[in-house]
Amino acid sequence: MTNRIVCRDLLELISGYLDDALPAEVHSAVDAHLSGCDGCTRVLEEFRTTIAMTGTLTEEQITPAQRDTLLAAFRGWAG
Amino acid sequence: MEIVERLTPSMRRVARMFVSTDAVADEVVQEAWVGVLQGIDRFEGRSSLRTWIFRILVNTAKTRGQREARSVPFATIAGDDLDEPSWDPTAFDAGGHWTSLPWDWRGLPEDRLTGRETLEVIGRAIDTLPPMQAEVIRLHDVLGWSSEEIRNALALTDTNQRVLLHRARAKVRAAIEEHLRSVSA
Repeated sequence: MTNRIVCRDLLELISGYLDDALPAEVHSAVDAHLSGCDGCTRVLEEFRTTIAMTGTLTEEQITPAQRDTLLAAFRGWAG
Repeated sequence: MEIVERLTPSMRRVARMFVSTDAVADEVVQEAWVGVLQGIDRFEGRSSLRTWIFRILVNTAKTRGQREARSVPFATIAGDDLDEPSWDPTAFDAGGHWTSLPWDWRGLPEDRLTGRETLEVIGRAIDTLPPMQAEVIRLHDVLGWSSEEIRNALALTDTNQRVLLHRARAKVRAAIEEHLRSVSA
């Protein structure tokens, strides 16, 4: 990867950038692009917000019936 | 029992990717938990416990799927859009730069953005993703698993795990935008 990234390609790197999973030189190239690009900065901020809001969802709970079935299976194994 | 309650909802969804019905998925989850209890002496701590449990689950589910003579192509569970761009290509000129700036959320009132309606939009968007994309974003962004744990748990390559997560986030972001546009119009 060269140190010049165009907008179209930068959008594929946003998750890796936010998760700090890019090679250092690519991370720097993303920084360099963002410093001069309002459009990509917007989208990056939107991804950051999306991730933060997704993090406030709660995981579904197992139902009492599912719980009982599992407990029965464990008892069957232990007995 | 706490870990069982915590992991079972994800395990049911993952099992369901490989077998034909919810009922069979429930049986796979039970079988996997019994396998965990039987094999716990062999857990060596080289991965996290939850990763190890998911490996047992995925193996159990795949074996059961094979017994059902059900072959599930990777594209069916992962989505057939992994090689496509995550943004509408017509937004860019030939050189790959924005032709006009993308719509800006940032001026919207905070309560509109973070309200319960938006959370419901996110939940529904995740529910409609291809199942492996949905599970990767749930494990990573809802439950806080690391990328390494997820790829080990679900037997994904590093690249696939990252692409699945990015595709999932891009679609959730797009769903939020569509919602915000409709309520701001």
